[in-house]
Amino acid sequence: MKHLLILIFCLASFYSKADADAKQIIKELNRKFYALNDYSANIFMKFDIPGVKMNSMNGKVFFRKPNRFRIRTKGIFFLPKQNPMQNISNMFLDTSAYTTVISGYEVVDNRKCAIINMIPLKNETDLILGKFWVDEANPLIIKSQITTKNNGTIETQNYFGDMVQYALPSKIVIHIEINKMKMPKMMAMDLKKKSVDKSKVNLKEKGSIELNFSGYKINTKFPDTVFTEKEE
Amino acid sequence: MIMGLIKPTSGDIKLFDSSLAQNRNEIMRKIGCIIEKPDFYTYLTAHENLRLFARAHQLQYTEQQYKDLYELVGLSGREKGKVKTYSHGMKQRLGLAQALLHAPEIIILDEPNTGLDPQGIIDLRQLITKLNAERGMTVLFSSHILSEVQEICTSMIVINKGKTIAQGSVADLLSSESLHVHLEVVQVDKCKLALNQSEWKDLYQMDPNKSVDHFTLKMSKREIPLLIRYLTAQDIDIVGIDYRNQLEEYFLKITHS
Amino acid sequence: MKEFIAIFKNELYKTAKRPRTYIGFGVILFICLTLQAAFYNDGKEILSFFTNQIDNLFNVHGNVLNGNLICFLLLQTLIVQMPLLVALVTGDSVSGETASGTIRFLLATPASRSKIILAKWLSGLCYTLLLLGLLGFMALVVSKWIFGSGDLMALNSEALTIIRGDDINWRWAAAFVIAFLSLAVVASLGQMISCFIDNSITPIVSVMAIIIIFTIIGMFDLPSFDLIRPLLFTTHMISWKSLFEDPIPFSDIYFSCIVLIIHIVAFLSISIFYFNRKDILT
Repeated sequence: MKHLLILIFCLASFYSKADADAKQIIKELNRKFYALNDYSANIFMKFDIPGVKMNSMNGKVFFRKPNRFRIRTKGIFFLPKQNPMQNISNMFLDTSAYTTVISGYEVVDNRKCAIINMIPLKNETDLILGKFWVDEANPLIIKSQITTKNNGTIETQNYFGDMVQYALPSKIVIHIEINKMKMPKMMAMDLKKKSVDKSKVNLKEKGSIELNFSGYKINTKFPDTVFTEKEE
Repeated sequence: MIMGLIKPTSGDIKLFDSSLAQNRNEIMRKIGCIIEKPDFYTYLTAHENLRLFARAHQLQYTEQQYKDLYELVGLSGREKGKVKTYSHGMKQRLGLAQALLHAPEIIILDEPNTGLDPQGIIDLRQLITKLNAERGMTVLFSSHILSEVQEICTSMIVINKGKTIAQGSVADLLSSESLHVHLEVVQVDKCKLALNQSEWKDLYQMDPNKSVDHFTLKMSKREIPLLIRYLTAQDIDIVGIDYRNQLEEYFLKITHS
Repeated sequence: MKEFIAIFKNELYKTAKRPRTYIGFGVILFICLTLQAAFYNDGKEILSFFTNQIDNLFNVHGNVLNGNLICFLLLQTLIVQMPLLVALVTGDSVSGETASGTIRFLLATPASRSKIILAKWLSGLCYTLLLLGLLGFMALVVSKWIFGSGDLMALNSEALTIIRGDDINWRWAAAFVIAFLSLAVVASLGQMISCFIDNSITPIVSVMAIIIIFTIIGMFDLPSFDLIRPLLFTTHMISWKSLFEDPIPFSDIYFSCIVLIIHIVAFLSISIFYFNRKDILT
């Protein structure tokens, strides 16, 4: 009994310590997010989506707090519905909506990262669980795994350059998992294609979208109209 | 076969002293034709049809020349009408215009009277005669109606089942100078005796296909009243008499056989 | 040569004057305008029908419903109906004249039978080209005017390919050339059957029957059909779509073009050979 109590005490003090650490890291992170009102940057996107063939493309990205986001480019591109560039800062800044706990530590991209689990406190939020690998030394989200009710799980990895003071990455790689696409031949009018082994149709395949940023311009107060422009 | 619609199984056709197989294009420039019934593009006007034909022959026709042609065939004023509105007679006239368009040396008219009303037949006959007389065109006229052949043609060939059965001038073949007269009398023996004593003694025979009271005599049309008078004078009762020319006689023989 | 040009002009004139020629143009205008109106009103819903697999995961940014996509969908839809319109004119080219007796009118000219068939074939191709030209104008030019330009989201059974707008015009040009070759096969087939038959309707029905049967065999997703599929000309009629793949399977496209050209030459040669020996008995 005595040993059990000691164990409970140790665990409680450990989690209490972990919770405190997580809060401190998020505080540091939010400080960076607070400092950022808007930004624009050049973006270069590379797509590797199973069943979708799309060339890489250039564009310009615009963001304004809390979650106004736009990529201005000429042409079609896909972004996950759970857009990390648009939502993460907003997610973190609303501290009343979630609780956090550090569930462990891991080295990612040569950085020692605390793995912070974000658990929503409100039922109506879309988030089910957020898992963030945050650099302890200089709080930055190096990797994230967000599971939502509507859009499943999405995993991203961030690489940072000279915009660390605003926690803005120079590269984001979004990892996705998607069912192999298969459109009926009759609908696609593909008489030339040989028949496909049906057993391979519904297999999950992994893909990624790579977003490279450069030429960040921070808090320049560009007009709001960029978010309402018609897409080309 | 001359127009190249049917290929000969063997042999060759010679026209204008050259082989049709080898010089078809040259020969076709010298031939005009209406084959059975003139068929045209019904969605085009008569004028458009003729212009197509003129272009195929690489003819440079002026509007005046077209006008003259319509005048000639009796289509003046109707040439701008769609062919689908034409009567058979008008189509036949247009067919003639088409056949004459390239001023051929020979016109082939295959059953051109088919479906024509009596006035149409007369008009066509007059036109053909005129073409021959005024333009010196040779007309190759095929018909089953011998009276028409007799009216229009100078020479004729009779073909039955692909074989020539008679050939010569129309005057000879359809002449009233050499009729087959069929005579039916009551007193056969008396008639036989009378004929043997007449100028027709070598020109009669008992009709083998009919009953014995039938005689067939070869004579001219002028001689028929003389024969009747002669036999009546001999108290021979004539029951019936009719006559046919050589070709009619021939066709009848074939029909009976 | 002058003689050939003369009868070729005649054939063009006749084709232009026949009311049936304009059925094809009318049908294309009607279908294009109807589908464009449908896409204008319900384009997003129609599009989601095709993209529902990606809609769950992604937001699609950019003007997807643009002139290029409409053209792609129209061409894909109409390439099945176009053969009927082509056969309507070319399937009747010889048999119609035989049935109406005007073949005698043609043969009474100095032109040889081979030249007559060639002239008819060429005029059939001109009609096909005009038909395709109208489709190109309606599907591409008018659609771009209504829906704007942009990247093409090309749909095929294995992938969704995004073709960038600045890399698309040459693909359209090549696609229309292949589509023309495909329809030229139909035109040649129609004319060939037309030489064998002496009435107007049978060749048109026969061409459509052949195309429908071959297309159904091609569409059935059965491994046993994989062997015969490359032998069917209908399989290659759709090869214009390969130009909208990434990477473009050029060797497949060249092969399809060769197969289509062989069909055209074969059908035309048979037409000339048979027509030269045919007795006109009507």
